[in-house]
Amino acid sequence: MTAPKSLARNLARRVAGLPDLAAPAPENPPIPANVIAAAEDALARGETHYTDRPGIPEFRAWVAAHLLDRWGVRIDPSEVTITCGSTEARYVTMTLLAEPGGAVLCPGDSSRIEGALQLLGARVVDSVNDDVRLLYITPAVYRETALELLRRAEETDWWIVWDLSFARLDDFHPAQNEALAKRVVTINSLSDRLAGWRLGWMAGSEAALRLRAGKQAITICTTAVSQWAGLELARSGDA
Amino acid sequence: MIENPNIPEAVRAVASDGTQLRYALMEMARDMDDIITLGRGDPDLPTPPHIVEAANRAMRDGLTGATDVKGMPPLREAIAEHMRAVNGLPLEADNVMVTTGGQEGLFLAVQALIDPGDEVLVPDPRYTSYDDAIKRAGGVMVSVPTERDDAFNLEAESVEAAIGPASKALLIVTPSNPTAGIVTEDRLRAIAEVVVRHNLIVIVDEIYGKVVYPPWRHFSIGSLPGMAERTITLDAFSKAYAMTGWRCGYVAAPADVIDVMARIKAVTTGPVATVSQWAGLEALRGPQACVSEYLDTYMARRQVLLEGLDRMGFVYGEPRGGLFVWADSSSTGIHAAELSYLLLKEGRVLIFPGTAFGEKWRDYVRITMLEPISTLRAAVERMLPVLERYRL
Repeated sequence: MTAPKSLARNLARRVAGLPDLAAPAPENPPIPANVIAAAEDALARGETHYTDRPGIPEFRAWVAAHLLDRWGVRIDPSEVTITCGSTEARYVTMTLLAEPGGAVLCPGDSSRIEGALQLLGARVVDSVNDDVRLLYITPAVYRETALELLRRAEETDWWIVWDLSFARLDDFHPAQNEALAKRVVTINSLSDRLAGWRLGWMAGSEAALRLRAGKQAITICTTAVSQWAGLELARSGDA
Repeated sequence: MIENPNIPEAVRAVASDGTQLRYALMEMARDMDDIITLGRGDPDLPTPPHIVEAANRAMRDGLTGATDVKGMPPLREAIAEHMRAVNGLPLEADNVMVTTGGQEGLFLAVQALIDPGDEVLVPDPRYTSYDDAIKRAGGVMVSVPTERDDAFNLEAESVEAAIGPASKALLIVTPSNPTAGIVTEDRLRAIAEVVVRHNLIVIVDEIYGKVVYPPWRHFSIGSLPGMAERTITLDAFSKAYAMTGWRCGYVAAPADVIDVMARIKAVTTGPVATVSQWAGLEALRGPQACVSEYLDTYMARRQVLLEGLDRMGFVYGEPRGGLFVWADSSSTGIHAAELSYLLLKEGRVLIFPGTAFGEKWRDYVRITMLEPISTLRAAVERMLPVLERYRL
């Protein structure tokens, strides 16, 4: 059963520019026994209801503490939203902080944000211009390039998205610069260890409450049992 | 507009945004002690044990790896089979996609089908959580009135009167959140004729379709001749199986629409958590007695709640389905938002004002039946003196 022709004509146009679905399945590493036990415990005590829309308080507190311990970046747990993987975090930040017709400056691999921007009607650029609303960078970007763009960001009102998922980590974080900290959203994912549990987070910035509402409007909250599993993984030092 | 200065700014500031108003009240309640929460549509009953056990088995067996963005094939097949048998929809697995709850289904449908400037006809009152998705796509909401005297049923004539040159889709929520009305089969047949005549799409949210109180029964508009190809049916395990926290729902639609929604889903949220999909599979394949047991529980609670509303002087239409009572509180003479705040602050009972479901519903409140009977009775006893104190 397919749609009437009058409807079908629009469908192809709708997805033009979106990636196809042929992406290879991600790795599926074994889940540590303590994580499974924590998930089973959560279910046994009835953690099967909606969580707070930004996520369970314990996990949000861990994210805030992690940013402080790892990079010295201080945020309040209320600025953390647990998401359905980093995919949802990227989509929400791109569509709420970039603008239709605007541009996102991405000096490295832009493949993870192009779909979201396509839906928004925004575009990726690799050099500074007047349409730029947001700087998307990851630790994979050559450090001198990142620092130069962050210096430019100080002279603008760009939002900055620092995506830690799938990238090597070091001691640098854009929010260590106090002049930028209120405009930096950090994104990360637990997918490399918890493939299939759909768990990520976005944290920080003056837009945090807006981002939380944006996530709520799509999926209400993130799967409860995944959050408890992720919390155990995080607390055991594996996240 | 709420002008009473006694109401906190946190509530007044978001009074015109139904969703944010509900969350402001919920967050206020969360910070208070000893609150009876009759606000959010989150069943207090547990997810049935056989469903939880299926999830545990999947975790122990290492079956939690990422799935196809459309969902696990066995779950998609089970959903198609279930909707063929229960809803009468002519579906195969390629007409089905698993979603992160029902709300994401609406988001994806709108993203796939609505262009900027397209009008979406929405019955009033409405579930305002859907506003964001429609606005995000550039869609324009056009209200279709429903009335208490008609049990908030939807009339084909009202739908047709609201149709204009830019109309693209009709959104139906049956049973309705917030009114607890249902759109009856005779009305849906008439509405289908209008929809076909004007070449509209129907997006129908049937998440409360298994929570319908006899003698009323749920009917799926997509089962009517010629409608499946233009109907997007949304459903989820959340309400009937008490599985809100699992975030697992599904969409049935023409295969080419599903393909588009899947490509959008891949760049917005990705696949549904696999453990939740195993739970959903067990919900459909396992024993169904839990659904009727839960329905019996809600029916008993409904009776207690309605008796309480009678004592409070609230007027209501017969709740035919869903987990709410939508009651006219005008006898109090107090704006519903103010009334909700007073009942929370002084009665320690959380309910939602009608204005959270449409601007004009200042004389209505939505109350859930998602607490045990003893708690519902206690809630009534808490609310009565507050009403006596403030009734104009």
